[in-house]
Amino acid sequence: MTQKPPRRGTALRLHRQLERIWSPDPRFRGWLTTNNNNDVGRLFLAVATLFFVIGGLLAMLIRAQLATPGSAFMGPEAYNQVFTMHGTVMMFLFAIPFFEALAVLLLPGMLGTRDLAFPRLGVYGLWVYIFGGSAVIVAMLMGLSPDGGWFMYPPLSSAAFSPGIGADVWLLGITSIEVSAIATAVEIVVTVLRYRAAGMSLSRMPIFAWYILVVAVMILTAFPPMILGSLLLETERALGWPFFQVENGGDPLLWQHLFWLFGHPEVYIIFLPAAGMIATILPVMARTTLLGYGWVVAAAVSLAVLSFGLWVHHMFTTGIPHLGLAFFSAASTLVAVPTSIMIFSWIGTLWKGRVQMKLPMLWLLGFFATFVIGGLTGVMLAIVPFNWQVHDTHFVVAHLHYVLIGGYVFPMIAAVYYFQPLLTGRFHYFRLGAVAFWLVVPAFHITFLAVHVVGLLGQRRRTWTYDEGQGWELLNLIASTASFVMAIGFALVILDIGITTFSGLRGKRNPWGATTLEWAAPMPSPAYGFASIPIVRGRYPLTDDPDLPQRIARGEGYLADTSRNRREALIVTTTTGKPLQVAVMPGNSALPILLAVVTSTSFLAPLVQAYWLSALALVGVVIVALVWVWTTAPRQSEGLVDAGHGARLPVAAESPDPPGWWGSLFLLVADGVHFGSLMFGYAFLWTVAPNWPPPSYLVPTLLPVLLALGGAAALAAGPRLAARAVATGHRTALALVLSLFGALSLATAAASVMLARQDPAGHAYDAALWLLAGHVGFHAALAVIMLGYLALRRISGHGLRVGEARIVSLWADFTAATGLVALAAAWLPGTFA
Amino acid sequence: MLAGSLAILVLVLALLIAALLRRPAQSDDSERGTGLWLWTLGLAFPLTTLAALTVYGLQMGERLLPRDTPDLVTVTAEARQWAWTFGYPDAPGLATDGVLHIPAGRPVDVQITSRDVVHSFWVPRLAGKLDALPGHVNVLRIEAPAPGTYSGQTAEFNGAGYAGHVFTVQAHDPAAWVRFLQEGPP
Amino acid sequence: MTNILRLALPFTIWLIGFSAIYALQGLTCSRHWPEELEPRLALIGGAAVFVVIQGLALAALLALQSQSRFVQTAATILGTAALAAALWTVLPVLTITVCG
Ligand code: HEM
Ligand SMILES: [Cu+2]
Repeated sequence: MTQKPPRRGTALRLHRQLERIWSPDPRFRGWLTTNNNNDVGRLFLAVATLFFVIGGLLAMLIRAQLATPGSAFMGPEAYNQVFTMHGTVMMFLFAIPFFEALAVLLLPGMLGTRDLAFPRLGVYGLWVYIFGGSAVIVAMLMGLSPDGGWFMYPPLSSAAFSPGIGADVWLLGITSIEVSAIATAVEIVVTVLRYRAAGMSLSRMPIFAWYILVVAVMILTAFPPMILGSLLLETERALGWPFFQVENGGDPLLWQHLFWLFGHPEVYIIFLPAAGMIATILPVMARTTLLGYGWVVAAAVSLAVLSFGLWVHHMFTTGIPHLGLAFFSAASTLVAVPTSIMIFSWIGTLWKGRVQMKLPMLWLLGFFATFVIGGLTGVMLAIVPFNWQVHDTHFVVAHLHYVLIGGYVFPMIAAVYYFQPLLTGRFHYFRLGAVAFWLVVPAFHITFLAVHVVGLLGQRRRTWTYDEGQGWELLNLIASTASFVMAIGFALVILDIGITTFSGLRGKRNPWGATTLEWAAPMPSPAYGFASIPIVRGRYPLTDDPDLPQRIARGEGYLADTSRNRREALIVTTTTGKPLQVAVMPGNSALPILLAVVTSTSFLAPLVQAYWLSALALVGVVIVALVWVWTTAPRQSEGLVDAGHGARLPVAAESPDPPGWWGSLFLLVADGVHFGSLMFGYAFLWTVAPNWPPPSYLVPTLLPVLLALGGAAALAAGPRLAARAVATGHRTALALVLSLFGALSLATAAASVMLARQDPAGHAYDAALWLLAGHVGFHAALAVIMLGYLALRRISGHGLRVGEARIVSLWADFTAATGLVALAAAWLPGTFA
Repeated sequence: MLAGSLAILVLVLALLIAALLRRPAQSDDSERGTGLWLWTLGLAFPLTTLAALTVYGLQMGERLLPRDTPDLVTVTAEARQWAWTFGYPDAPGLATDGVLHIPAGRPVDVQITSRDVVHSFWVPRLAGKLDALPGHVNVLRIEAPAPGTYSGQTAEFNGAGYAGHVFTVQAHDPAAWVRFLQEGPP
Repeated sequence: MTNILRLALPFTIWLIGFSAIYALQGLTCSRHWPEELEPRLALIGGAAVFVVIQGLALAALLALQSQSRFVQTAATILGTAALAAALWTVLPVLTITVCG
């Protein structure tokens, strides 16, 4: 950073200019139109905390009921709703959104950039979550909540055994929240890979960035099976497509596979962000560096993938053959290895440093004492004969709370205390925090140790009451009493954080002596984050250059020039962190919340049988999305722009791989997993479900086959030609027409499948064919809309960008490839039968 | 297993406390210590214990595997919300509700299925649990060591009547078993 | 990006191999597929293919070095770990009753 000596006031002037460019609308409506990560993250965090409180209140109801035998407090109907909602709220409405909120708040600072890659997508995710979550809670208050347990096994959750809308609330509400999580995950992945400080190579990334990258990819690959499962169950409930009804070729086991294919990784999706926080905070508390950074990264990656190979351990009692169980038992014990590497890396870090017993550290110790026990009972559960004995008892309840509360809630509390100065600019001065800690942690252990024991004594989970004389009374009473103490402790934690947020002392920058970039920003972090994009030369930039914060503030990094008067961030190469492009970030807008409103309407309207409204809202989704893309696309080309330090970089929108291309790529990863799950389900029914093969087959005719082949070829070639034509300045009309033709013929081929098998409710085979054809039809329609957009851009005279054509090409390729596979899967069995 | 787990817990916590108590004059920012903390404790230690544990678990599972034996008895168990019906292929037509009759001291295969939702067959003192799934028949090998009654229960959540969805197993001596097959429940 | 893929590759192969061997177990025990082979042999063959592919992946990672030293080291660790994981998870094929 060699520049002319700074003049006094440079920093202040830069601050004022950036503040003007980046700040949200100061009126109330600013909350609805802001897309700044600070605002989005705060709201996200507050809402997730609210859901934690709701889930906690439900937990208190559960413990109150179980405190005494034969309790008359609740009947089974109420109890079933309460524990189902407790599990659902905690897992879907609290745990995942809470770490996403922290990631949204902190990631840009840690990476040395100004905002997340797709600020508006983040807002959209937030509101979809708020609407979906509220719908679930409102339904609960009306006594209409689901009551089949948080894993909702059919046929219990099928229409025959769960009439009423409880199960639909779960399926539609939770799916919309999963959609929001996927939106946030795409945003996180692209941010970590592309939006960083100059010089921040992969090996210099802060450890939390690695963890959250891994987690975001896991969300993209674990949620789609669950979304597919929900789609199958909801179509079964609403339209009678018999995916889980044995008589008509379905199989309830299919749900269990799809659910746990999501459900086990989910556990690690929850744990890994907490681990990332631990790996971030612990070294600072011990005034040293993390021991074995590379080891920890490798452990996180392997843990993530291993966790996808464990799902069957939740199904050890379903009659899966001995050898199958043995595979999953072996794989399940294996995950303990990367976990153990992390644990010992942390203890080794403490060993080489000098530990300061600050409040965050205290909670991390709570984590250690709790999580290790949870991990050990987990290994015990991976042993098949033991599992057969304790499966579905309170032993499992205790195990999962040791892992979830010890491994997630405690580290997250540590993280909130640790980052509070950065987020609020205020410091903790009260003793309340320590008191709360000493209430929560011992009470937690008393509660759940007692629960372990009643589980071993045979008390089944999910039973609304129990009889006297089995030796369970005292233990349950102890567990309930201690759990109330724990709840008071949690309330004090929230109170303590609230008090500090509104009345803590102001203090100086970087109070803990941290080494990573987020602490180089002013406190509390302004909307623009950094006055200029920092340049880093090592993994611990604040140690390498203690002066860095001042240099950044004086505009000595990249993009300090505000004369273009718009929000800009730096895009770097993934591996080395070399400056590559200048990203122009969108300004405040009401479009994201509008899109969230129509999306949520289309999800939730079916609950009240308003299918027409749902369809209308879907049209709304398309329109709003088009307006959104249309208005964010740039009008004029500007060529290379000055990014500071003599770098002249292209604007991201004008490069062949704009952020939208990367976002599409990762969205398609999720879409691909969804498609893969569909194929898995089809194959599973085919090989395992009792009433197969189906009574008759679909036998393809020549015309649709030709249409499919020709259509796929045209759809793959057309957008490519269009992209090339844009790049070389030729006419694109022909290429676009070719693509359109491709999409339409593929859709026609798909329609032929539905026309040939007109009763999807007859047999799971037909229902599966409709879904396969529906996949093709849906993506072909998407391609048509995208092509229409390209054509409009061309006609309107704003001109097309190569990047836009390449994005469409990506989607078209996916449509063509999965379309061919889907149709082949639909046609081949009939051809050979 | 419990003792082993406790030992590991104590070890980890002891190391943690030692690390907290150690206050080096100057904190060490290097990567020294990888050998001990990561290679030995992080990697080698869990690998060996887990290997032992997994092999042990697999062997245990192996021993529980149903083997062909000449004196095998087969019974059927069909679950529904919220009752169990048991059948006896040795005495066609015979069915009992809520009580499963078996001979003591002989291996019994229970063929488990469900008429409606997912249930699970569990007699804690005789064997682990096995699910009752509609459309599938799962076979569980049990053996009652002595005549008497053993209580059983459903172990998969199945709706409002879940808590009360229990049954008993009545194990008979050889004479009583023959009588049961001929005359039905007393 | 190729560097990120390098890190993801070894365990992704493990996941595919693991799922494949589990599926093979289902097919060979309940459908007797492939017909020509005895289930035990089919599974041992499948396990061997799995381990060999996992080994080849490691060899490929070692042969095609990345420019980033950090990525190269991490990829090597992950490749080795995935190979060990593959061996660990196919172990039951050799040690316990097949199709019991
Ligand atoms: C605040 C203290 C908490 C207490 C006292 C508590 C208590 C309980 C109890 C007693 C059950 C068993 C209900 C039954 O099976 O009959 C349960 C289930 C469950 N809890 Fe908690 N819990 C707490 C916090 C949490 C947290 C923080 C999470 C997740 C992050 C969580 C997730 C779950 C899940 C997933 C279930 C299973 C629900 C089902 O069976 O469908 N709990 N909880
Ligand atoms: Cu699991």
